[in-house]
This record gives sequence, C-alpha cells and structure tokens, in this order.
Amino acid sequence: MRVRLTRLILVAGLAVTIGACGGDGGASREAGPWMLEASLAEAGAAVQFCEEVTANVSAYMSQFEGQMPPSERHGGAVVVASIGDIPDGMNNHVSQDYTASQHQSFVNLMTLVKYDEDQNPEPYLAESWEVSDDASEITFHIRDDVYWHDGELTDAYDVAYTFKRAIDPETAFPNAAYWTHYEQGPDGVEVVDSFTVKFQMRPHADYIDPWRATTIMPEHLLGDVPSAELRQHPYGTVCPVGNGPFIFVEHREAASWTFQANPAFPADLGGRPYLDRYVYRVITERTTLLTELLTGGVDVFIRPFPDEVQAILDSDVVDLLRYPFRGYVLVGWNARRPQLADKRVRQALTRGTNRQEIVDALLQGYGTVANGSVPPFHWAYDPSIGRDAMSYDQDAARALLAAAGWVDRDGDGVRENAAGVRLAISIKYNHGNDMRQDIAEIMQAQLSQIGVEVTPMVVEWGTLLDQIGQTPRDFDGVVMGWIVEYKLDDTDLFHSDNISETYAWSGTQRPDIDRFLEELPLVVDREEAKPIWSEYQELLVDEQPYTFFFFDDRLDGINKRLRGVEMDARGEWLNIKDWWIPADQR
Amino acid sequence: MRTFIARRLLGAIPLVLGIATIIFFVVNLAPGDPADRFSSPTMSAEAREQVRVNMGLDQPIHIRYVRWLGALAQGDLGVSFSRNRPVVDIIQELLPNTLLLSFTAIGVAFVMGILLGILQAVRQYSLLDSIASIVGLFFYSMPSFWLALMMVLVFSLFASVWGWPISFPPSDIQDIDYAFFSPIEKVQDRLMHLALPATSLALVLAAGIARYTRTSMLEEIRQDFVRTARAKGLSEPVVIFKHTLRNALIPVITLVGLYLPFLFSGTVFIESVFAWPGMGKLVVDAILQRDYPIIMGGSLVFAMMVVVGNLVADVLYAVVDPRIRYD
Repeated sequence: MRVRLTRLILVAGLAVTIGACGGDGGASREAGPWMLEASLAEAGAAVQFCEEVTANVSAYMSQFEGQMPPSERHGGAVVVASIGDIPDGMNNHVSQDYTASQHQSFVNLMTLVKYDEDQNPEPYLAESWEVSDDASEITFHIRDDVYWHDGELTDAYDVAYTFKRAIDPETAFPNAAYWTHYEQGPDGVEVVDSFTVKFQMRPHADYIDPWRATTIMPEHLLGDVPSAELRQHPYGTVCPVGNGPFIFVEHREAASWTFQANPAFPADLGGRPYLDRYVYRVITERTTLLTELLTGGVDVFIRPFPDEVQAILDSDVVDLLRYPFRGYVLVGWNARRPQLADKRVRQALTRGTNRQEIVDALLQGYGTVANGSVPPFHWAYDPSIGRDAMSYDQDAARALLAAAGWVDRDGDGVRENAAGVRLAISIKYNHGNDMRQDIAEIMQAQLSQIGVEVTPMVVEWGTLLDQIGQTPRDFDGVVMGWIVEYKLDDTDLFHSDNISETYAWSGTQRPDIDRFLEELPLVVDREEAKPIWSEYQELLVDEQPYTFFFFDDRLDGINKRLRGVEMDARGEWLNIKDWWIPADQR
Repeated sequence: MRTFIARRLLGAIPLVLGIATIIFFVVNLAPGDPADRFSSPTMSAEAREQVRVNMGLDQPIHIRYVRWLGALAQGDLGVSFSRNRPVVDIIQELLPNTLLLSFTAIGVAFVMGILLGILQAVRQYSLLDSIASIVGLFFYSMPSFWLALMMVLVFSLFASVWGWPISFPPSDIQDIDYAFFSPIEKVQDRLMHLALPATSLALVLAAGIARYTRTSMLEEIRQDFVRTARAKGLSEPVVIFKHTLRNALIPVITLVGLYLPFLFSGTVFIESVFAWPGMGKLVVDAILQRDYPIIMGGSLVFAMMVVVGNLVADVLYAVVDPRIRYD
C-alpha cells in the first residue's frame, strides 16, 4: 500500500546513497575530451540566436579536438567562488559589476591594453599604438591573429563598433564618462584598415585608461541589435562569444559559470591557458563558502572577511593572499545639516575617532588608514597628507569644536551652539554589514568623549541609497564604501555643479576644490600632475567632506595546489590564463 | 470530485491574479529605484534615464500594470533587471531545483515523522517515548538556517577535516564534473548533494509531524475496532499499519496543506546556506535588488503552488476518509 511503497523507495534511495559513499566525495575528475557540444546546446536551446552561435563555436572548436596538450603543466580544472554572481554576464556594453568586468577583461574577452604593476599600459589586443605630439590623436594597431571563438577574425571594425556603442546615449553605457574627452562626432573614429583604427581626442590625462577597462565586443554578432535592447540580449548571459583565453561553456542560473581553455589563443600572448577548465561558482552564505574552501571543493575564495582569515591561516590546504586595493570605507557627512555645516566640526569628528585602532580591531590589521581618496599604491598617493593634521587627538578635537562655537552649556555631556542646537547626529549604515555597524557604534563611544552624541541607525540598503542620494537627503552621517577607478575623479562626489546629483552626499561647495576637479583630468603628464594631486588632497583634508577611514586590503584564500597565481589591485583574475596545477594534484 | 477540483482550480485564477496585483503595487511603491541599482556612479543623469527607458520603467505605474497583464496573458513574464534574461527561462531553470528539494524534504519528513510517531504511540511512556519527545522538541524549536549551518559544519567541514568515512558536499546541486558522469553516478551525485539540505528542512518538519501522529495514533489505538482486529488474530503490524494508521493519518494529512507555504518560504534559508539554486533565494534576492519582473513572476509561481498544494491536501483528505464527499 501507500506506506509500503514509501518505505520501498526510501530503502532503495538509501542503498544508492550508500553505494555512492564508496567513492571519494570531493575529488574532481580529469576533464575528458571536448564536452563542449552537449553543454553549449543545452544552454542555448531556447533562443535561436544562441542556437546558431553555439553551433558555430562548436564547429570551429572541433578542429582542435584530439590535440595533445603542449606541456605537462596543461590540464586540470579550477573552481573560483564568491558571494556575488556575474549579473550582466559578458556583455561589456551594459555591465558595471566588478566581477563581470574582471571576467570580461581577463577570462572571456580582451581589452586593447592591460596595465602592469605600475599602472603603465602594455599591449594586449593592440600590438602597438601611436599618439600624436599634441595628444589629440591616437592610433591603435590590432593583432591579426586573434579569432572570436566562432572562427571570425577580430579586427579594427570590432574596436570602432565598441566605441560607437559606448558613446551612443541609447546604450546607457555605464562608464560613458571615460569618453568625455574623446571626439564623439562622426569623425571621431576612423578605421584606417582591417587592423588599424584612429581616434580623435582633446588632450587629457590617462587617455589610454578607457581601453584598459573596455573589452572589445563582436560586431558580427551584436552589430544589428538596437542599442536600447543590448541590455536584455541573450549574448550576455546565455551564449557569450569571446576572443579571450577561455571559451564560455555553460551558465547555470544563480549557481555557476563554466569556461574551457581556448586552444586558438595567440602563442605570443601565452597560447592556450594551462588550465583545461575554469568554473566560477556563486555561494552566498559565507560559512558554506569557507567550508568549501577548506574541504577542497573550491580553490579560490574571493574576499573572505578578516574574521574568517584565521581559519584560512590555520588550514594546511589553503594559503592567504593579501594586497592593497582601491576601495575605501568612509563616513560621509551631510554638510547641509546645521550641526555639520562648519568644517571645523567635521575635522573634530575625524580627529576624535581612533581610526588606526579600528583598522587593527575590525580588519585585524589588513588595511591602511586613509586621509583622502587616493589609494596607497596609486602613483598620485602622498602618505604625508593628513597624517599629522588629522591624527587621533581628542584635545585637538575638543578645541576645534569649541572654536566653532559648540560648548556644553547645560552640563549634560553634549555640546550646544549659541542657538541651543545640540550636537546630536545620527550615523546611518546599511542592514547586513557588520563592519559598518561596528564603525558606527565605535564612533558613538569615542565621540561621546568629546561631547558629541551619535545615534547609529540601521537602514535597508535600497532605502538608504534613496535617503542619501535624493533630496531631502535625510541623513547626518552615513557609513559607506567606495571603489576608486584608476583614472581618479572625484567630480561626482565633490564638484558643486553636481550638488543635486546622486553621489553628492556631502553637499560640498568650494570654488577652489571645483577648480582642481576641473584641471586635474586635463594634465597629461603624471610627473606634472603629482604635485597638483597633493594640493587637491590637502584641500580635501581641510574641507573633510568625509571622514575617510581606511583602504582595506583585499584578501583571497587560495588552495595550495594552485600555482602561478598573481593578484593585486588590478584584480583577482589578472593572470588566470597562467594559473596551473601540478599533474598529481588535479 | 472532478467538478470539485475543476471549481477549485477556476477559483484559483482570480485569487492568484489578485495576489499578484497587490504585490505589484506594493513592490512598485516601495522606496528605491531599480534603475539606480543597475546604474553606475559615473553615469550621467541622461544615461540613467536611458537605463530607466530600456527597462521600461519610464511609464507611469498604471500603464506598467496593464502592460504586465497583457504580457502575462501571452505567457511572457518579462525580462529580469538583474539577470537580463527572460523570467520564464530563469524560473524554468530554478523551479525544478526547489521542487526537488521541497518534495524530498516533505517526503522524508512525513516518512520519518509518521514512523517515529507510530513508534512513540505504540511504546507510550517508555524511555524511547520520552527521549524522542525531547529530541523532537529540540528540532522543532530550532530555526532551520541554524540547523543547516550546523549540518554544514559537522557533516561537511568536520567530516572532511577529521577524515570521517562519509562527508557530504556543502553546496550546489551537483559536482563540477556532473556533465562527465554516467547516469548512475549522476543520480548518486544528486542524492549526495540533496542529503544535507533535505535533512535540515525535514528534521524540523518531522518533529512536528511525529507529535501529531503520536497523539492521533494514541486516540485511534484505544478504539474498539482495534481490539476487534487483534481479537480476530491479525498480527500486530497489520493492525497498526493497515487499520489504525489510516484513521490516524487524517489530521496529519491536513498538515500537508498547512505546511506547504512554510515549506516554500523555509527553502529560502536552506537555499541560501547550501547555495542551492532555487526559487526561494531568487525571489528574496530580487526583492532586495528591486528586480520587479522576478518578484512578480516568482510570486505568481508561489501563489499557484500554494493553491495547488492546498487542493492536493483536500483531495487526499477525501481519499483517506471515505466519510468526506465533495459535491
């Protein structure tokens, strides 16, 4: 009957499970011969575009089947996991997510240039380039041996196409600001021949940076798609076709992305990657992700938190990699509020907070105290800025507050100004971020010692963005994070023209800061620019629109069997095509 | 019976549409603009407006509602803002995973719970009964996500690090080499991955079911017909399983209908902890990201599943109890 049947099924299931337990739970099989066709067909089955595309890729790649691996380093599969997905996939026209751009730049697609450790450009898809003497024209010479994974040759038309899409307002390219000083009219880009393309521009700093960040997209696949529809095109997440070291194989929604080595990758650039397969997995629960790392299910854990580091250091299968990065944490002050309008008050709030102690406690020392928006590894960084002027000094903080007219007139421990307004502010932070909550609470404790009453307030993320980004800017202080681009530009944050825009949290309005923000992007030579950057940063210290907290180091947990991994501020996937696994550990 | 089922299903349509409408307006009126979430800091105001147009958010809310209804009538649930794929495709991929998890958990929970409840009833007041009650209460009170985390730590991490004979994979539905497995290996792999998540869900449910079954069985066992059956010379297992259990199951089956919505919401935690790519996590992530198409599509699917689940519970009820007849 019913009950008997259920028990039968249960017993059968148990038997199968016990049978499965005979094998090794976690070992990964060596990749067999090309399995491309089956997975690609499954992934693209629903959409006609994808069917054609995957058929072409399979056809082109089948000619490489059965080839012997070039060396004994070649082989194996690596699994990288993080808590975030790759939202826009490989569609560079619309994507602004960090992980997505890493995969586009280093895994599936190619950029014209890459940066070396000192942020100097080196050739990648572009073999060479020339800049005219007055920096008004740049000509790129593209390699002639790079093929899209469906067999088409990558040429200058793809570069011109990518540029035109990026400047087309209907695409809503997230980083359109890159091209502000490029000529966007009809004569802006000229395809001289199949592998030569020329751009007109107005002289400005870091003119090569957009080409480090923008991957070249396939004109033959996306050229006919209307710009407004690019975002939702299946190319991005269902059947991407790249020209980079790894070929897209499969995307399992909310679970994983699988790539396979590209045998046709130019030998000059390193040839076929060592790894056979690369799998990116999405695991949102940190404990599970850490468990996978420690049990060998995952080889690389992207960005563990400082309190998870101990488990990684204790383990003998995993190493910790640490390097400075370009993200900083700040407390933004809303200078529109009466309590925060005077810059001396903001300076006092910074000087009354022991930021080094917070770095030691919350980050376990994996970070550097920040006094401005320039990351420590950047060429424009000046370590002397703000180090003494904004050092932790409660007496100096008290003096600043008194000078600004804030005195404890009624003896309740909280200062008031002459009009009777209490120096009581709230610091908001988003729900779910323990570190930001800790910062708000530590500030509450430390600032109470100098007569400031701080109330930490937790707000849901989307609502918080609304509150700080839209009038009436309902906040006093907010704990936030910010990631800085290589091409530093604080215009959105501090320029008075943008004071009603989303990112003008601080409400800064200073003509001298405005002048610097306008001048800096136009200085072409780095040596010339460096002292100007220092002057700008001094102004920022004086104005204190934010209490800059720290640049936190990036941490990554990496399985010891993985060799050749280099990671730095340029990204975690920087040299994934050079990672390799010794044969006995695959 | 058939007209009953047909009437219930027809009645479900306006119900589900009503739920979807309410959710549509609540979600659209919540603070937070999706276009901002999917725009970058360096975008100009015009570009952000363009993103809004590209997502179809520039229209006023009532027009968007009518458009959405129109698309729904053609089976089109729109395109997700955050994943940039048609919602129907996403749901097609993820719904089977959630169903697999939910039904396995419910199946295991009922079998475990019923068996345990019967055991407790038959051996009332014994040591086994007391221990089972205490353990049951413990699991019943545990939040499922805590239980899930503990299972990951014990049966995955410690098992692997301390070299136990069996260690379970802590996440996802399959191994990275799944595509290379033979069919038997594929089934094995699925079961291994299913083990921890389904057990975490099932344990909490089973405790409650055991309690209900125990109480219900105790009532039935005291009935005269049981004494008659024993007097007729039937063996004890036949008396318990064939005669008593069928009557005792009636209130327990009511639980099926009651538990279903909690099951689907409970899978959210389990799916998050075990990185199980399923609907629960999809919808919660969509809510946090203001991904309207997925929120609407997911809510519709959940509403339909709950309605069908309740219908199934009612039908089962009639199957088990011959006194009940629907007209």
